[in-house]
Amino acid sequence: MADDTLRQPYDVAGEANVEDGHVVVDGPNGIAITLTADAAVLMGERLVAAGQAARETAETEK
Amino acid sequence: MFTQRFLINKRGIELTEEEAKLIEGSIHEVKIIEPRTTFIHAGQSVSFSTLLISGLMSRYIDDKKGRRQLVAVQLAGEFVDLHAYPMKTLDHSIGTLTRAEVGIVPHSTLAEIIAPRPELARKLWFSTLLDAAMHRAWLFRLGRLDAVGRVAHFICETNARLESVGLSDGLQFELELTQTDLAEICGLTAVHVNRVIRQLREAGLCLLKSSHVEILDRAALEKRGDFNSDYLYLG
Repeated sequence: MADDTLRQPYDVAGEANVEDGHVVVDGPNGIAITLTADAAVLMGERLVAAGQAARETAETEK
Repeated sequence: MFTQRFLINKRGIELTEEEAKLIEGSIHEVKIIEPRTTFIHAGQSVSFSTLLISGLMSRYIDDKKGRRQLVAVQLAGEFVDLHAYPMKTLDHSIGTLTRAEVGIVPHSTLAEIIAPRPELARKLWFSTLLDAAMHRAWLFRLGRLDAVGRVAHFICETNARLESVGLSDGLQFELELTQTDLAEICGLTAVHVNRVIRQLREAGLCLLKSSHVEILDRAALEKRGDFNSDYLYLG
């Protein structure tokens, strides 16, 4: 039987490292992408904004 | 014998001497194809199947921007496109990764040798089902494994396949693939593959140097790649 946690949102953050002037993102789970520096910074900003908005939504629904 | 590696060491499916001779005799022509050459384009009608005698070939699909995903790597002794026999048109391209020697088997000849021999037909069918099993494993690899796991899984699979045909001693083998090839196999960038190769080395799992692979800890590499060879139906 499948582990039901695999169908849930991940609660572990992926790792981000610099490799040859690019940002390499590993995880969570099977995520494996490479971004340019600019794309990584922009994506990071979007993730922070979306994460904060999701927290606020969760607080409102409590 | 061009067919000496075809279906050897597969679970209960080895060719009889007569069947091997029949397939050998069905090879209409032997060709040498230069490295990095597209041999059959997606959508092209084909009236023959290709037995890879030596070298490495791939099945691949390019996206609209020309970015390539390898969907299979074919090793010496395998039919590259036996499925073309019933399908007649391929939904993917076939190309060489290295210089390759191939045997061309006309579908008309295949039809002649199969018709009175259902057991041989079953074995050729098995060969295409083995391809399908590997496609399922490749889906698992891309969908579930992280970058290190994907490369580890591919190395383990290739080692097991080459070992079964006597081209790996179980720990070392030649594999003329570039980091870009590995990226196109594992759905990564070449930059990511470069990092993964270092991680595998630093973890004491395996070394990939130019065209040589040395597995340092086979059990640990298989565990890291979540690899179980059952889907290869090895004998």
